[in-house]
Amino acid sequence: MFALLVLLALLALLDVLLGTARIALPEIIAHLAGTGSLSEQEIVILTRFRLPRLATALLAGAALPACGLQMQTLFRNPLAGPYVLGISSGASLGAALVVLGSGATGIIPGWSLALAAWAGAALVLLLLLFVSLRIRDVTTILILGIMFSSGIAAVISIMQYFSQATALKSFVIWSMGSLGNVTGSGLTIMTLAIVPLLAGTMFYVKVLNGLMLGEEYAVSMGIRIRVTRIIIFATTSLLAGTVTAFCGPIGFIGIAVPHVARLLFRRSDHRILMPATVLTGMVILTLADIVSQLPGTERVLPINAVTSLMGIPVVIWLVMLNRKAQPV
Amino acid sequence: MQDPENDGIILFRDAAIGYPGEPPVLSGVSLNALPGEMVALIGRNGSGKSTLLRTIAGMLPLKEGIYSLRGAPLSAYDIRKRARLISLVSSRAPALPSMTIGEVVIMGRIPHTGWMGRYGKPDREMVRDALHQLGLQELAHRQVDHVSDGERQRAMIARAFVQDTPVMLLDEPTAFLDLPARFELTGVMAGFRESGKTLVYATHDLEMALMHADRLWVIDRGKVVEGGPEDLGLSGLFDRLFQDEGIVFDHGQHRFIRGIVRKGTFTLSGGNELVRGWTGNAMNRIGFMEAGGTGPDPPGSGNTVVPVTVEGEDPAYRWIITRDGQQFSFDRLYTLVQFLTRIE
Repeated sequence: MFALLVLLALLALLDVLLGTARIALPEIIAHLAGTGSLSEQEIVILTRFRLPRLATALLAGAALPACGLQMQTLFRNPLAGPYVLGISSGASLGAALVVLGSGATGIIPGWSLALAAWAGAALVLLLLLFVSLRIRDVTTILILGIMFSSGIAAVISIMQYFSQATALKSFVIWSMGSLGNVTGSGLTIMTLAIVPLLAGTMFYVKVLNGLMLGEEYAVSMGIRIRVTRIIIFATTSLLAGTVTAFCGPIGFIGIAVPHVARLLFRRSDHRILMPATVLTGMVILTLADIVSQLPGTERVLPINAVTSLMGIPVVIWLVMLNRKAQPV
Repeated sequence: MQDPENDGIILFRDAAIGYPGEPPVLSGVSLNALPGEMVALIGRNGSGKSTLLRTIAGMLPLKEGIYSLRGAPLSAYDIRKRARLISLVSSRAPALPSMTIGEVVIMGRIPHTGWMGRYGKPDREMVRDALHQLGLQELAHRQVDHVSDGERQRAMIARAFVQDTPVMLLDEPTAFLDLPARFELTGVMAGFRESGKTLVYATHDLEMALMHADRLWVIDRGKVVEGGPEDLGLSGLFDRLFQDEGIVFDHGQHRFIRGIVRKGTFTLSGGNELVRGWTGNAMNRIGFMEAGGTGPDPPGSGNTVVPVTVEGEDPAYRWIITRDGQQFSFDRLYTLVQFLTRIE
């Protein structure tokens, strides 16, 4: 855990230092110590772009894997992730309505986009809560979540088909995810939404532990299954919905990071696993952010693609390693 | 002196149980179990064993009648209190995530932990004791998916044990185990009685239950009959249980047999206890019941009488039978059986 913290600090520093404009660490230290100074432009780059970007990466990197772990434990399914309930589809629908529906050309205010995406995610949450109050079997809920997602995706593709090229491009770019568009008040809101929810998740580890043997055992150990489901769905929707609203869908890390944390820490106790997952997620997304900026070049890759391309080999490697360790 | 009618830790009176919105699976259920008793719940697949266990655990509401736990209706306890009164071992082995045996077992302490779920030293000590009691101390750090079915089942039982409840419910705990593992596990469960626990376990293994259980709850055609194992045996319940399927109870050997049609009777003279026992087994198997004996009473109306005389000493026994005034002699029961099946 400590090693991960150190790694995270190093990566965060690197993330701030690297970029098109070179700003060296001694200069920053000198500026902070008052013995030297950075140019006006450099300060703007740091405070308006790089630090918010890092903060966004840390928030998203913490939130999505925490959701993924909750979903994997609740559904007892290693393939579950934050988006399995249709949260990202809901958010995408909201975004699509704004971007494609308005037929907007040019700039869409980031605010209305985030708000619409958030509303879409919230709509899916309400649908889920309604369903989960009626349906006993958790696997049925999982299947319904997947159906919601597919249905919404179909609606979005129809909207894309009939939309103009510029609007289509804006939407496609949104759907590729970005950590760099969250600034100022947006970041404040994201922080205010994510930090308390994540803290709440940390206090829910006992229940998550109790769910590991399935719902029958959970009930026999005194866990109120419906209340639990509602709380887990609500926190997941709000966390993943908020991240998606501000950053667009960021694939892969929600599903993969809990597995990486399990392999690194070799513990199933959520009191360890939850903080481990959050920390690992922050490390991995910060790393992905560094890679996406292609250090030494002026180009930036979409974060969604980078997380997948970077993470997939790692997970394949870890899984194969684990298999080999098992007696056949 | 306990009043066995009314002091039960588990008490059902004229209850109907089943799933909401469906006709009851069992009705007129009147049962009880005392502290420190091991109760075997016997019944066929689909007869309602699991339904009854789920009702006791409070996972299914009662359709009608009374069910009280420790002298109060179940509704008097909220789900957390229940978790300290009743623990459960499900029949379905859960698909476990990668966890060690120790991690599975300590989960039984969850109802006793604070809201952060921190396990303290007493929790760990209880787990250590339980692992020891179930012979798992060497396996505490093994992954649950790397141990045998029997070991995994013992881990699930250890988890329920450390939940430290006066009632333990076990749904077919021995179903997938081989004979030695079945004996071992049943023995361990019988040992739990010493701590005053009441164990209710569902099984189809009546023969094993007759060796260990203090009380039987037998589900027979939508009704539950309860009583001491031997009293139920004397009442003729076991004879009726699978009658329609041609399965009969052998009161001599305390086991069920089937597929036998009565061909007649035999008389047995000579030989020691051992050879007489095995000779009886061979004759029963091909449809001859000992005249006036305690053996099974299969259907059929054959009335051939076969007198069997055993001569000789271990290991050189001889069996002599008389058929139509003629004597036949065999040096093995196998050839005697072949001879008798051929002439019929």
